[in-house]
Amino acid sequence: MKEYILDEPLTPAFLTFLRSFGIVKEYPHMKRPYFSFEHEHFISIKGFTGDTSVEVRYQKGFSDLTSDYFHLLLFYSRQGEPGIRKMHEIEESIRERMKIRLPR
Amino acid sequence: MAPDPGNPSLIYLNNAATTWPKPPEVLDELVRCLRTPFFEPGRSTAGNVTDYPTATREALAVFFHAEEPDHFIFTQSATDSLNILIQGFAKNQKTPFHAITTELEHNSVLRPLNTLEGQGALTLTTIPFHDSRVTLQDIKKAIRSDTRLVVMTHGSNVLGSLQHIRPIAEYCATNDIFLIVDGAQTAGLIPINLSEIPAGAFVLTGHKALFGLPGIGGFYIQDPQAIAPTRQGGTGTDSRTLVHPQDMPQKFEAGTPNYPGIASLLAGIHYIEREGQDAITNKCRSLTSRFIGKLTKDLNIILYNPAADLPVVSFNIRNMDNDEVGYILAKAYGVITRTDLHCAPLVHNRIDGGKGCVRVSFSYLTTPDECLMAAKAVREVAAGADR
Repeated sequence: MKEYILDEPLTPAFLTFLRSFGIVKEYPHMKRPYFSFEHEHFISIKGFTGDTSVEVRYQKGFSDLTSDYFHLLLFYSRQGEPGIRKMHEIEESIRERMKIRLPR
Repeated sequence: MAPDPGNPSLIYLNNAATTWPKPPEVLDELVRCLRTPFFEPGRSTAGNVTDYPTATREALAVFFHAEEPDHFIFTQSATDSLNILIQGFAKNQKTPFHAITTELEHNSVLRPLNTLEGQGALTLTTIPFHDSRVTLQDIKKAIRSDTRLVVMTHGSNVLGSLQHIRPIAEYCATNDIFLIVDGAQTAGLIPINLSEIPAGAFVLTGHKALFGLPGIGGFYIQDPQAIAPTRQGGTGTDSRTLVHPQDMPQKFEAGTPNYPGIASLLAGIHYIEREGQDAITNKCRSLTSRFIGKLTKDLNIILYNPAADLPVVSFNIRNMDNDEVGYILAKAYGVITRTDLHCAPLVHNRIDGGKGCVRVSFSYLTTPDECLMAAKAVREVAAGADR
């Protein structure tokens, strides 16, 4: 588990971007608007919209393959639709390497 | 509660894991202990310093009303104690035997027993609990002709329920069954009189309600012959012989003791004696019932034992994962709890389908305001989940 401090607050637009890759849950009526993101085998993210810190968990056994995944999401989230396509390509490449590692 | 310079509004409610803060007297004793050379007969020629191991064994004997100070053994933790006792008991048996434990247990009981079962050293019966308790009747039903060992908790670290171990101890003692009682969640929270509880062994940890440091625990053993030692090494005495001494307490201890841990345990016991065990018990019960009282009418909150005897309250909020609740309580409200399975998987299989829950646990040093603020926070999170 890692806690990252970001340069900019997390935005609702980033959550919309995340929805292209996994399950986003939101509890906007909490004291601080909470969200979580789950992408099986890749990462899970927890945080508050508008915050500059976020908790990211990587699945054991694959963390060396996925350790950059969160930062790639942040980077490509600024590129809209092309960013979504690029992330899907990156994900596919990671999945191929994961398949080699998964028990048969 | 001592303020955390990084987060002045921190409300620490994970005392069932380890207590925080520690009383100032414990911190003072630690500093005092570290400012002078450590001393124990046979290990040092230092004079005019406290022999912490001896002083602490004597203090434990008074505190727990036990006859033999030297039958208090220091270990790293309750887990370490339970491993020594369970493995040591099994090692002493000539043939496989039957053991009984309960669904309330921590993995520090379940894992050693399951490991021994897997090795063919014993067969194991795990008794279900009812209304958060396991009774003597439950244990009697499980007894067989080859039952030699019962290992059970004194207080559940999830449900906060106190088990009535005295009749169970009396029954086991009468029937030549060795009873190991895990007092990790009770030592320091309620009065315990070992002269009235004829358990084969009573396990304690130093860093929970006894206010010592993590890294110190122990156990009291009535009959040292019942357990084969599982570690050998330097004892500071009889160094010529290559055979580990069998007299107490050396029989079960080897290597340099954790002097700072032992010193912290001594100071913790003195603190409890000064404050009064009954005062501590009553305050913790008051905090627990206040907290539960604030949550009990909220239909979005599932309380797993609204009648908790110990300051341990486990709950879930409907439509939320327990780890999410824990995260929001910590980050948005500064309320520190514990989530997930609390190292007690069988309890959770029964109460929440194995998904885990949020656990709040108070200490004598928790203030009533903190208790009420935490309850308010939980209710706000529950309300937020419902919208």
